[in-house]
Amino acid sequence: MSEAELHEDEALAAEHALGVLGAHERATAEHRMAHDAGFAGLVEAWRGRLAPMFAIIPAVDAPAGLWERIERGLPANDDGLEPRLAFWRRTAIGSMGLAVAGFASAIWLFMQPPLLVTPDPGPMLNARLDASSGAGGSPLFVAAYDPLRQTMLVASLVPPGTDPGHAHELWLIPRDGKPRALGLIPAGQSLSMVMPSDMAALTTDDAKLAISVEPPKGSPTDGPSGPMVAIGALQKI
Amino acid sequence: MAVLTLDPLADLMPRIASGDRQALRQLYQATSAKLFGVCLRILSDREECEDVLQEVYLTIWRRADRFEAGRASVTTWISTIARNRAIDRLRARGPLAYADQVDDLEIADGSIPADALLASSQDAQALGRCLGELDERTQTVIRTAFFEGVTYEALAQRMDTPLGTVKSWIRRGLLKLRGCLEP
Repeated sequence: MSEAELHEDEALAAEHALGVLGAHERATAEHRMAHDAGFAGLVEAWRGRLAPMFAIIPAVDAPAGLWERIERGLPANDDGLEPRLAFWRRTAIGSMGLAVAGFASAIWLFMQPPLLVTPDPGPMLNARLDASSGAGGSPLFVAAYDPLRQTMLVASLVPPGTDPGHAHELWLIPRDGKPRALGLIPAGQSLSMVMPSDMAALTTDDAKLAISVEPPKGSPTDGPSGPMVAIGALQKI
Repeated sequence: MAVLTLDPLADLMPRIASGDRQALRQLYQATSAKLFGVCLRILSDREECEDVLQEVYLTIWRRADRFEAGRASVTTWISTIARNRAIDRLRARGPLAYADQVDDLEIADGSIPADALLASSQDAQALGRCLGELDERTQTVIRTAFFEGVTYEALAQRMDTPLGTVKSWIRRGLLKLRGCLEP
């Protein structure tokens, strides 16, 4: 431990565990945890170091009736349980541990209580949208989809104020290859969008998300009218 | 270092994973006051914390099979989930949420005395001792960040200090903390 500074990844992991990152950096860190077991391990280790502080937070009785409300909102586990368990077993990553707490908050924009509770809504998905020029580097957008709430969250990592004369429009490209417009994503902002049921049905792990550059009010046509600048596949978390 | 501790709640997790509502109810009874306390420190809003708790127990219901006994206690595991959910909601209020409680910084951790960790479990004593080795200002920002979940930006505004300075206090403090905990 003779280094004078924390390694950059380690510093980011520590900051994420401590909880000082802003919304976008936080979303990016969550996304990285889901795909980079090494980084997830660093965050877990820091969560473990800081966790003893929980011990001294005073308990406060939760309001009466909250348990009943929680119980009413539980999905029936009987139908959906086996496939779900099988899914989690398949995707279990050796060192998950506390990282599940990260998964939990990967849906950090999902503020509302569940709109709809179904026995097995399917797995959560996420995507990183890289520059379609193939230039590599950091993603331009990150997205996560919670099928339980039928809600997509998207964070634009494009610096605010970039190219003010144009808009970024988000598209869902399902298996049939035809892009469906989901909405405009202002540079540097994060949005949470509830998906209509027909769109939700198309939001699966064989679909892609893409961003096109459009006039300020969005594409005047059914499909994208400007260049696709970023694209990424939806993957199971 | 590896001290075997029996976690009475760990037995509930496989039962919850298999769909036993009674087991989830027992977990709720044992832990909801703790989680509500954790959430209230961050959001200061009882209604929002009710929503957070609902999300947390729903998450546990769906993912109890992911719990690995031996890596962390159940209480730590679900406190971490609750804290993350609460911070997510705080972020939805914007980066400067709670930035203006300028006078509150000294008493930021309020009813929690600075030496409370020392009177707690073995892990907590170690952390308390290591925090105690940091200068008071660094100690305070780290504790405030943990207990309140505020951003660098909000901390910087509260302390009327450039963001980069606050960031380097915290980074240096965390580095020292790691060195102290794992010599």
